[in-house]
Amino acid sequence: MLVKKRMFSKVLVILLVLGLLVTGCGTATNDGAKQGASGPVTVTFWHSMGGQPAKTLTAMVEKFNSTHTNIQLKLVYQGSYDDAFNKLKASPDQGPDLFQVYDIGTRYMIDAGLAAPMQDFIDRDKFDLSQIEPHVVNYYKVGDKLYSMPFNSSMPVLYYNKDLFKAAGLNPDQPPRTFDEVEKAAKALTKKVGDKTVYGFSQAIYGWFFEQYMARNGALYVNNGNGRDAAATEALVNSPTGAEILTWWKKLIAEGYATNLGRKTADTQNAFGAQQIAMTIDSSGILPNLTTAAAGKFQIGIAPLPRGNNDANSGPVIGGGSLWILKNKPKAQQEAAWKVVKWFMEPAQVAAWTVGTGYLPINKSAVDQAAYKDFIKKYPAYQAVLDQLHNTPENRVTQGGRIGVFTQARATIENAMEQVVLNKATPQAALDGAAKKITESIQEYNQTMGIK
Amino acid sequence: MQRGKKLKQLLYALLYLSPSLLIFIVFIFYPMLKTVYLSFYLTNPHGDPVVWKGILNYGTLLSSEVFRKSLFSSLLFVLYTVPGTILIALALALLANARLRGIAVFRTLYSATIGVSVASAATIWMFLFAPGNNGMFNYLLTLLGGPKVGWLVTTQTALPALSLMSIWMGLGFNFIVLLGGLQSLPEDIFESARIDGAGWWKQLQHITFPLLSPTLFFVLVVDTINTFQSFGQFNILTQGGPDNATNVIVYSIYREAFFNSRFGPASAQAVILFVIILALTLIQFGVVERKVHYQ
Repeated sequence: MLVKKRMFSKVLVILLVLGLLVTGCGTATNDGAKQGASGPVTVTFWHSMGGQPAKTLTAMVEKFNSTHTNIQLKLVYQGSYDDAFNKLKASPDQGPDLFQVYDIGTRYMIDAGLAAPMQDFIDRDKFDLSQIEPHVVNYYKVGDKLYSMPFNSSMPVLYYNKDLFKAAGLNPDQPPRTFDEVEKAAKALTKKVGDKTVYGFSQAIYGWFFEQYMARNGALYVNNGNGRDAAATEALVNSPTGAEILTWWKKLIAEGYATNLGRKTADTQNAFGAQQIAMTIDSSGILPNLTTAAAGKFQIGIAPLPRGNNDANSGPVIGGGSLWILKNKPKAQQEAAWKVVKWFMEPAQVAAWTVGTGYLPINKSAVDQAAYKDFIKKYPAYQAVLDQLHNTPENRVTQGGRIGVFTQARATIENAMEQVVLNKATPQAALDGAAKKITESIQEYNQTMGIK
Repeated sequence: MQRGKKLKQLLYALLYLSPSLLIFIVFIFYPMLKTVYLSFYLTNPHGDPVVWKGILNYGTLLSSEVFRKSLFSSLLFVLYTVPGTILIALALALLANARLRGIAVFRTLYSATIGVSVASAATIWMFLFAPGNNGMFNYLLTLLGGPKVGWLVTTQTALPALSLMSIWMGLGFNFIVLLGGLQSLPEDIFESARIDGAGWWKQLQHITFPLLSPTLFFVLVVDTINTFQSFGQFNILTQGGPDNATNVIVYSIYREAFFNSRFGPASAQAVILFVIILALTLIQFGVVERKVHYQ
């Protein structure tokens, strides 16, 4: 009996230890907090850059680490913007010190109270914000405050194949600037060669493009000044402007001047590189990739995003991502992260970033750097991107929409675009459905986050 | 005294089961109960339940056209995928069951897909399915003079295309199980059948299939459940599009929970999926198993 009892308690002890193992998996460890005052501070930096931008970022981080003895920047790739963002949402306590969040995550980061506002650091150190491009700063401003520092910024532009323009008898120095001109050019560019068709135009089914066309045509995405005067409560995507955009998009495909290559922007980029389409819309950031694809085959031209009307107070919105310092991190990490942010904003660093990625030179002085001057010599077409940045007026429309459920809204719009392109619904009907769904999501978000 | 002994036996049984019970409780039962609990709420984006909805989440779901479409796509996907996988794997297993020199090479090749993860398979098939002139399939079709197909970009072709890829993925596992089943069949039955003059087809029809039926039943149940729960290929290849044509339930649950941060409605969907799979498995055991011949 005694033996059995002893056995019992032994098993019990083992079980208890096992139990500890199971419950113990959840405890967070924080490398930074344990460090003494002497060693360098480690700043963990989550990012979502792949391909060429990732290489550039890694090289820059190595440069930072070799020039700073008291801060070590640890770069961690967390998958796509969505993946990284969802990871932080799921366990905010185990997040990084410095975090690259996409443009449309801004509202949630603030509402969820995850940010140590960048403005506090900016004010304290009297960091000169006027050196940063105003259109970029205005996108990320909430009220009069910056919660994050703009980092990788881009704008949508029209890319066109200059050689195909010449072959079709079009002037390669006069690219189309309006919806009608795109249609005319696409008609002239569309050719059937044997059993292969070269289409004049094609754009991926990507919700970001729709947002950009809305702003380009002077329309708000959501109410309350694009969610910037007060929290948005209603989607405005089904306005006449929204329907005009999708009607034009659909018409090009129906007339056979454009083809639908699906949601993946890479598929449309590949088709442009292989000269299967003559014009496309994409982010300014992919110019280096497209240039590589076109090397030795054709010349690339860049034009501003086409417009469907003459609204003067319109223009494309900034896209990309910004850097966030997280609130729930030790002071030492936050201060170190702020130093990293300041370093990234230096003209030399911004120039290196633009040269290595194609993202906008957001520090105005970056264009005076030798590296950037070589870059613009190599890619003269890039000047059109900068011109578009500087020619865009500042107002609620061009600042872009701000809602906490933008990922959802974008997916909903993509679905509506597919319904239109695949003949399942008229532009107005598809957008009415989308607007209803987005409005419901916004209201549910406001309700569950306690926003009035 | 008798009762005391029984109680003690039960306690000991529980004690010996406790390690697995503990793991089940922590990783299966607790999450399941939590899912049911969350399905009655609206959560904020962190996942904290904030608004009580009761069964309203279920009501909204069942009356939503998108959700019904999702259910339908899932069923269609299972219908497209499972029979195809089993039939092709069975044909391959019958072929590879032959006693030939070097047959092991074919057996290895046929079972190779078991070593490919969904993520890498989906990435490979993404290149095969690429639209326009850039995809391998479209290139081959053009060579044959056929039309170009928008594999993943039209509503008619997206689900069958994913199914095609999933059949390929599932072949390896099904092949191994079925070949194992074939090899364990007793040779003497076939021998006496041959002596009685039964041809290849007769043997297949009257001996192989009945004797193999427990294995076939096993792969049917496992494939159905697995196919219902497919996720990776949807996430990588179509993300539920175009126009929700491939928005199967598991993908829609993921999308609701981790993109839209609506854990309540997502949990309600998960509960419904659980009920459906449970019902299907019960039906399979109740109806199909009667036809299974156990030796």
